[in-house]
Amino acid sequence: MEFAEKIKHFLDWLLGPVTFFLFSVIGFGAMIAFRGWWTRTPVALSLFGLSVVVFLLSMTDAQFRVIIEKPDNIPIVIMLCSIGFLLWLAFRKMAINDGLIEQGLPTIEARESKKRVMCWPDLIYSEFLIAILVTIALLWWAIEIKAPLEEPANPAVTPNPSKAPWYFLGLQEMLVYYDPWLAGVVFPTLIIGGLQAIPYIDMNTKGNGYFTFKERPFAITVYLFGFIVLWVLLIMLGTFLRGPNWSFFGFFEYWDIHKLTSLNNVNLSEYFWNTWLGMPLPENIFLRELPGFAVVIFYFAALPPILANTVFKRFFIECGFIRYNVMANLFLFMAALPIKMALRWLFNLKYIVGIPEWFFNI
Amino acid sequence: MALFKNLTETQIWKSIFRHKYPDNTRDQALAVLSNVFLHLHPIKVRKSGVRMSFTWCMGGVTFFLFLVETITGILLMFYFRPVVEYAFNDMKDLREVTPMGIMRELHRWGAHLMVITVWLHMLRVFLTGSYKPPREFNWNVGVILLVLTLLLSFTGYLLPWDQLAIWAVTVGTNMARATPLLGHEGPGAALLTLGDIPIITAGSDVRFGLLGGTVVGPATLMRFYVLHCVFIPMIAGVLMAVHFWRVRKDGGISGPL
Amino acid sequence: MASTTPPTRTANAQLTRRSFLESVSTGWFIFTAACIAGLSATARFFFPNDLFEPPTRFKIGLPENYAPNSVDENWKAKYRIWVVRDGEKIVILNATCTHLGCTPNWLLTEGKFKCPCHGSGFYRDGINFEGPAPRPLERFKLSLAADGQIEVDKSRKYQKELGQWNDPDSFLKIS
Ligand code: HEM
Ligand code: FES
Repeated sequence: MEFAEKIKHFLDWLLGPVTFFLFSVIGFGAMIAFRGWWTRTPVALSLFGLSVVVFLLSMTDAQFRVIIEKPDNIPIVIMLCSIGFLLWLAFRKMAINDGLIEQGLPTIEARESKKRVMCWPDLIYSEFLIAILVTIALLWWAIEIKAPLEEPANPAVTPNPSKAPWYFLGLQEMLVYYDPWLAGVVFPTLIIGGLQAIPYIDMNTKGNGYFTFKERPFAITVYLFGFIVLWVLLIMLGTFLRGPNWSFFGFFEYWDIHKLTSLNNVNLSEYFWNTWLGMPLPENIFLRELPGFAVVIFYFAALPPILANTVFKRFFIECGFIRYNVMANLFLFMAALPIKMALRWLFNLKYIVGIPEWFFNI
Repeated sequence: MALFKNLTETQIWKSIFRHKYPDNTRDQALAVLSNVFLHLHPIKVRKSGVRMSFTWCMGGVTFFLFLVETITGILLMFYFRPVVEYAFNDMKDLREVTPMGIMRELHRWGAHLMVITVWLHMLRVFLTGSYKPPREFNWNVGVILLVLTLLLSFTGYLLPWDQLAIWAVTVGTNMARATPLLGHEGPGAALLTLGDIPIITAGSDVRFGLLGGTVVGPATLMRFYVLHCVFIPMIAGVLMAVHFWRVRKDGGISGPL
Repeated sequence: MASTTPPTRTANAQLTRRSFLESVSTGWFIFTAACIAGLSATARFFFPNDLFEPPTRFKIGLPENYAPNSVDENWKAKYRIWVVRDGEKIVILNATCTHLGCTPNWLLTEGKFKCPCHGSGFYRDGINFEGPAPRPLERFKLSLAADGQIEVDKSRKYQKELGQWNDPDSFLKIS
């Protein structure tokens, strides 16, 4: 027991918000890089077994169990399991198909795509079967677990912590780093608009209708990074690791309302004028925020052409001017989230441009 | 067996089913063609496209869950009154007093599951590159369906009128205050004035239009109820029809060319 | 026969190419304008004229009831305000976080307001010092009514970042 406690403490200490995110990114890179290895059945089975063991051991911890067993958190567990399984399936097929393509052989899908089968029974039977299975699962779930109902609504008392529905917790986590007009309005709009733009900016004609990684590595990496790391893992972080006062807690740490965290954040303007130039903040708002504006303008106006001449050279030539710029800007907006997270953790940076007078904070 | 044979020989049976038992190609085709629900499907499909390991059947499960939500939702409407004084107690009664007290659970867990399956459906469409020409438009219809699914879940979250509900919605809708130009705490809103009078205030911005008040109150409950039960499902239903239609018109489930 | 040009319908009806285009574009213009007007009218439908929200003007008792250097939470449930007295000065703080509008809690031992939603912290005077809140808590107008009670008017608010906290209506001096 002693030993178990020590491990839990170690894990709590190990998994701060920073390290959680860092490990997520490293794990994501490893998933992409070693896809040929971990999708092999024995490895995948061992990984699966390992996670089951870790999960079961964790369930012996009271704190962990309290959070996992909240009725509204059960879907998250279901989601994580299904994503894990389906990613395995997809990556396995990718690895196999990539091998086949390399040898000049038709992919798994191509072997069967010329052949047509009757809808009845081939498709309709499986649809019927799945509908029954889903119904049974849903009935069982509904009988086992009651839908939550808390105290009646009371505008004067905010529950602590107060969380959005789980599927929006990624957005709520963004709110810690960006102001509502960005995290709550501009970014969601760009996520939707960006998703809609995908078919029109992806000029790669390969990989249409079959699983492959090698033929479209950039598209798949970026999409999975957005979905897995910036969406699903942030949901996990928001659900399991954010406690009272939105403080960060380890998986096994007791949710103490009085946990002290220092959250004194500093604006870029203060760094620039006070710390580096050793002078007071200028009165004029524009002058005060000049360094911030310079950074933002550089990021969105100067980086795309620079990238077009360096790492994105091939895209620029393939896509043309308009497509390339849409793509580059969407990409930069997506990168803006992890960048600001890192700046917050490393330098306690609050705002790059901070003009609360006009509600204009970046 | 003889009984079955007799049954299928009756005029009533024949008036409903215009084909024989589908154990041959002709009747299998007719079974799909002559049924208004099944003719959503083509007669023949790519072998690779019916593989569960290819489609994960996630689009189909999402649609099935949408049907489950529609049915259980309509049943809940028989008891639930979207008025502040009643809403919470009606929810409690649905659990404690109403017969078959799992209707709310079916509806809630089904909704959560639908959010998950939409995401997974989208993941598989992306990973198989199925958004590429000629399916660009259908991917776009899909993105709108994704947004509508999330909005359905979000508007439904307010209806129990408990602490969980109003605070999630308060925090969620407060972001609308910060909409550039159109929210009273958004950048640029202060620029919109008539002389000295600001146009965008807490009583006139987008959030006010959404909530029907300056705080999440009785008007909001009514609004979200109508959005949740009528408005969004209707639009989603129409778009699903377009979505399925386009799956077929764009050449069926995608596969290597 | 061949030399006489048959009278064209255009000439007869005085319908030139130009006037035809003009009437068509006028028609479309009116149609578009009518659609926009109809949609805006429908949008206006969603902004009610009459609200069923609590009154914005109310009395909260005598100034002496509030101890010096204290934060009074008695009106929080009813009106969503704190009454903060700092020596001789009383201000009314809006108990709504300036981040996304949760209701913060007063932590007596730590001497700060702390928001449960995303962790913003405010000093007793309402100034933000930690977490994502972009600006200090708002203050409401207060005055002494004829019967000696404090009267709060929530329809007038004062924001520090706009320099409004010096407004004499935003605080009450007790002599
Ligand atoms: C309410 C939500 C949705 C429902 C009910 C739905 C349903 C379906 C169904 C039944 C199919 C047939 C193939 C399959 O099952 O995989 C399909 C295909 C498709 N869906 Fe959806 N879908 C929804 C949302 C989405 C979303 C969010 C996207 C992407 C952003 C999307 C994009 C597509 C595309 C591109 C296809 C064609 C794929 C192919 O031909 O392989 N759909 N959808
Ligand atoms: S609402 Fe108070 S910190 Fe976000």
